[in-house]
Amino acid sequence: MRRVQIFSGSSNPALCDAICERLGRAPSNCELKKFSNGETSVQVGCSIRDQDVFIVQGGGAKVNDAIMETLIMISACKGGSANKVTAVLPYFPYSKQSKKKSHRGAITARMLANLLTVAGVDHVITVDLHASQMKGFFSRPVDNLSAEPIFAKWIRQNVPNWREAVVVSKNPGGTKRVTSLADALKLNFALITTDKRRAIHDSALQSRRHSPVQSEHGGGHMNGVPVENGTNEKHGDTPDVPPKAASEKSHAGGAPDPHFRRQGLSTYFQHQRSGSSDTSSRLGVNTQYTRNVPHPDSHMSPHHSHHHSLTGISPHPLKEQHNEIPEDEEEEQEEEEMYNDDQVSNVTTGRLVQGHVVDDDYPSPSMTASMILEKDDEGNLNQMLSSIYSTTSSVVGHDSHALGGVDVDASDEDDEPQDHIERMITLVGEVRNKTIFIVDDMIDRAGSWVAAAELAVKRCGAKKVYCIATHGLFGSGTLEEMDECKCIDKVIVTNSFPLGEEVTRRYKKLLVLDLSHLLSEAIRRNHYGETISPLYSYYLD
Amino acid sequence: MATNSIKLLTGNSHPELASLVAQRLGIELTKIMVLQYSNQETSVTIGESVRDEDVFILQSTAPGEINDGLMELLIMINACKTASARRITAVIPNFPYARQDKKDKSRAPISAKLVANMLQTAGCNHVITMDLHASQIQGFFNVPVDNLYAEPSVLHYIRENFDVQNAVIVSPDAGGAKRATAIADRLDLPFALIHKERTKPNEVSRMTLVGDVKDKTAILVDDMADTCGTLVKAADTLIANGAQCVVAIVTHGILSGKAIESINGSKLTKVVVTNTVPHEEKKKMCPKLDTIDIAPTLAEACRRTHNGESVSFLFSHTPS
Repeated sequence: MRRVQIFSGSSNPALCDAICERLGRAPSNCELKKFSNGETSVQVGCSIRDQDVFIVQGGGAKVNDAIMETLIMISACKGGSANKVTAVLPYFPYSKQSKKKSHRGAITARMLANLLTVAGVDHVITVDLHASQMKGFFSRPVDNLSAEPIFAKWIRQNVPNWREAVVVSKNPGGTKRVTSLADALKLNFALITTDKRRAIHDSALQSRRHSPVQSEHGGGHMNGVPVENGTNEKHGDTPDVPPKAASEKSHAGGAPDPHFRRQGLSTYFQHQRSGSSDTSSRLGVNTQYTRNVPHPDSHMSPHHSHHHSLTGISPHPLKEQHNEIPEDEEEEQEEEEMYNDDQVSNVTTGRLVQGHVVDDDYPSPSMTASMILEKDDEGNLNQMLSSIYSTTSSVVGHDSHALGGVDVDASDEDDEPQDHIERMITLVGEVRNKTIFIVDDMIDRAGSWVAAAELAVKRCGAKKVYCIATHGLFGSGTLEEMDECKCIDKVIVTNSFPLGEEVTRRYKKLLVLDLSHLLSEAIRRNHYGETISPLYSYYLD
Repeated sequence: MATNSIKLLTGNSHPELASLVAQRLGIELTKIMVLQYSNQETSVTIGESVRDEDVFILQSTAPGEINDGLMELLIMINACKTASARRITAVIPNFPYARQDKKDKSRAPISAKLVANMLQTAGCNHVITMDLHASQIQGFFNVPVDNLYAEPSVLHYIRENFDVQNAVIVSPDAGGAKRATAIADRLDLPFALIHKERTKPNEVSRMTLVGDVKDKTAILVDDMADTCGTLVKAADTLIANGAQCVVAIVTHGILSGKAIESINGSKLTKVVVTNTVPHEEKKKMCPKLDTIDIAPTLAEACRRTHNGESVSFLFSHTPS
């Protein structure tokens, strides 16, 4: 390619080298260093007048330094009369901060988009943006490439019996990503959701309502639940199911999936340890999601409750005591109806204590004052404020409660369940004796991956677990934790973040797939003004 | 009408200066949480309402973490902007990237201009800074910039601490001559200049003294001291030319790299810096360091900006 210069940022030079190798050239000369006071210095080493400039900056350890470096490089190239400056950012930094959470948070991703524009960028190439809506933050064209074809190809070539595998989303927010891969491979999918609130502990009642989940089917099927499968399996005895609930679900959970539908999934929520005996299995259903139910006493609560739990909304955390209140007659009526349902159950719940799935008879951690405080309707707010009032505000990796208060989007608070609080984790779908692919866009911390894998293996009998993500951020200790987890068989990421050879050698489970083919092809096509849409299809089949 | 009061916010870069300014203004710092995710991304949450308030965000740039400090500042500005603040003033006593202010080589970036654009993009309505390396940086902004001077505080310090009759003001390079002559004029003192030949940034080769310093207290004046190579060499030159003792007064004491060792091993009797840059740690390692507090000037500038009063009074006077 003539009249093209490709510059590498300092965060991931290996990726740029790989891209340049595929394009049959060497990276252009550019001196990057830091002054002793920490200011970044850039010196472009070759003429760029009237040329196409590509600046490749992968993810790296020092995000802010990488951003400044990119901005200064863009500015230097623009000032050096380059014809067109394209930023190639496989991992778009700050993409998790792409919306205004409550309490005056900044939309940092949008600001960063503006900063790139102000520095003089003409075009941006990125891979698997956390939210594709972020393309709208730019006033310049953005190519949001997808690593999915790379994963699909790898799965086809390397996973035995991949046709029987199941793709799993470990949080409801990532369902769309997962269904897309499932569609591409023509596989079934399942999803995992974690209850934000601590589960109810009542060991005294445990003996009364003690039974394994799987064997309980037919014991308490929820009449309304088929609705959120996107099916029309409405029972005659559920006239109160609003049709809009079905459409709501298809909005929330991504496109309705035929495989998922075929599974005939009927949901039954079992809360095996808790709930008072007089409310019986009906409560077994309801207590499970009590803290997610907008109004638990209404007839329609099952639909809503599950709908909300799937979308991860927990708008009205209720007080614990609710579960001790005997349900009224109407609900007993409903309870009878549920016994009529004879669908096969494939919803499995597990208890999550300190980030790990435990057995049913695991002792409950005792409730502390802070947890009671959190039970408050404004628990999130309280916790946030109290952490501001406290002097030790800059806790690295604090829970997202503190960052944004009430969360309305589960996709952003997928990581790290609070260690001291027990939570419920639920898998919807059938994975028994199957290989599963847990898919998300990035691996930052291990918590949610480990929990999802443990649930799938220990409770649901999954055979093999592959964790697949485009961006392997791997915060400190994450790789160790995932490597040690016996339930995870393989961790697959791309090289958007630099993972040196010694890392891949040290962690046997880690596999790094190469993005350079995708990126180099995008660069080549951009330079020659060709279409890039073939890059989104399964060109490698 | 809603109350419109001063809200002072600060990041992690220089909380001491912020609390001094807040104390001076008689207000509490606005509750804010600035933290880093495990992947090094900065996250900001503002703990109280700033809707329709006059927001001042004080952020210095500590050496070594300049980019983190800058991103923190930008995100704080942006958070206030999205939280409907009426006006956002960035108080940046030590403007980052101020030395990259011209295209001195082919294809060199004008990073100072980039920073100016970034601040405006984030949503900054006003900038208060101090002793800009080049006043032209004011022109990089399309919003008002108040470039305060540490000079009144420096004059005050010289009058209090030195024998003014027997001193000479020395500029360590030609670029700082204007600053040095201004101080010399105000104190009615003689003036000298050191010409240096610079080969690379942060490296100084040869020095020539212009002016008489014999048997006098030489006061070196400059806008910033980074690795202190210039100051140390200038002190050598001055002593060689018969100066009694050499003192350096610098606005921005960045003191990065081996600055502390250089100062400790040099002929400088004293290095006086303002607290635009945090240096409490370094003070423990270097007994020659002394501090001029410029928090009153910054606080007064904030107060006057908020009340719509003239700021120019501060160019020649210290608020006491």
